This record gives sequence, C-alpha cells and structure tokens, in this order.
Amino acid sequence: MEVRTEGRRAVVTGPTRLNMTAAPQMREMLAKAVADGSPQIVVDLGKTTFVDSSGLGALVGGLKAARQAGGDLRLAQVGDQVLQVLTLTSLNRVLRPFPTVEDASREW
Amino acid sequence: MSGDYTLEGLSVPESLDRLHDLLQQVAEEHPAVAPTDIMLFETAVIEIAGNVVEHGRPHGTVAWSFNLAVLPERLAAVLSDDGQEYALEEEQLADGRWAMPEDAFAEGGRGLALASVALDELDYSRSGGINSWTMVRHRREDSATG
Repeated sequence: MEVRTEGRRAVVTGPTRLNMTAAPQMREMLAKAVADGSPQIVVDLGKTTFVDSSGLGALVGGLKAARQAGGDLRLAQVGDQVLQVLTLTSLNRVLRPFPTVEDASREW
Repeated sequence: MSGDYTLEGLSVPESLDRLHDLLQQVAEEHPAVAPTDIMLFETAVIEIAGNVVEHGRPHGTVAWSFNLAVLPERLAAVLSDDGQEYALEEEQLADGRWAMPEDAFAEGGRGLALASVALDELDYSRSGGINSWTMVRHRREDSATG
C-alpha cells in the first residue's frame, strides 16, 4: 500500500487483499491524506483481488472524511470480486468505480 | 462434516490468508467450478472467519476448523469454533438472511449480510460449546473446459 499526493489530490494504491489485516492501514492512510490537505482521493485497486466488509468500512470511512474536507473518494481499476461486493452491498452508489486513475481524477 | 478440504487453526488475522490460499487451491483443482461461484463463496468464508477472529473470545485463542466439499451441484462448507456463543438477533435469523445497514455511510455491520447474499444457505448453530456456521452456494454454471 502506498500513497502519492499532489496538492489537494492523492492516489492510494490498494493491497492485494483488502481484508481485516490490511483495512486498519488503509483507514490510517486515507485519514492522513485528508488531514494533510489532500481530500481528493483516488484509491487504485488495480492490484486488489479481494475486499471484505472491513475493507469496505475503511473505504467508507475515507469517503466520509474526504467529503467533510470538501473532497471525495473514488475507486479506480476495480476488479471482478470488488465490483461484485460493491454491487451486493449497494455501495457502488456512493463509492464510484472508474476504469482508470486518470478517469477518476477528472472533474472534481 | 467430511469434506474434500480441511483446515484448522487459531482465530488470528493470519489465518484468513490460509483460507484465501485454500480457496485458490480449490479453484485450481476444480476448473469446472465457475469463477464467480468460487469468488462469492470465498467472500462469504472470509466474512464468517473474520467474524470469528474479531468477536471470538478469548481473543486469538479460539480454535477453529474448516471443512469444504466441492459437490456436483454445490459448494458446501462448515466453519466451527470453540469460542463463546454468538448473540444473534432472532429477527435476522428468521428468513436466513441478514440485512445490510440502512445507512449507506455505515462503516460496519455488512459482514454477515454480505456473506448471506453471496450464499444460498447460511446457518448458525451452537452445540456442545461449539459454534458451527454452515455455508452453501449452489453452482450456477460450468466452464466450457469443465
């Protein structure tokens, strides 16, 4: 997991499995990006093959923090399992998936 | 339950990786099982196992066992643990489904609901000091290479 920031924007790269072992670190990285003044966050899930409810919780927490700071949180390069889970939980309505990081970074 | 695959361990987060690896092994050894079926079954298994890791007491010392059978019509598994009894709300159990949180911005409470919609059957029982979660997903389709 890593984060790249550029002004108000941040790109966070997700882990292979965003489950309960990785979720706390994701939560911290998102909170730090917002606290450091980068609330326009793209979470790049290109390497992430699996997410569970704790991972979703970390993303929703980041989304809320980002919006409170006047930004947003968007997902990019979402794989099959992540898309299925977003759909099954109806979270695709608030955690919007984009094909690429570039697409997700447009029109904030 | 006797299954094709068995795994045992303690309820620590690292045990989730062993379950992920086991499901990957199942996918490799059963190419006729549709990837979506394996994927959603794995999603449910990790949710239930994660629940045991998170809520099992005493923390980190609860022993669990996992048995999985790959059958022509379904994937079936039982995850058992010797932790304390789970306090489940009766109305959630009535139709075998757990509800998603009404608040779209809730940061928790989706685990059992997600497992429930990924499966066709999800049952919890308690007997002799052992919790047992039974998970069944009917197989939807076979791959062309079956």
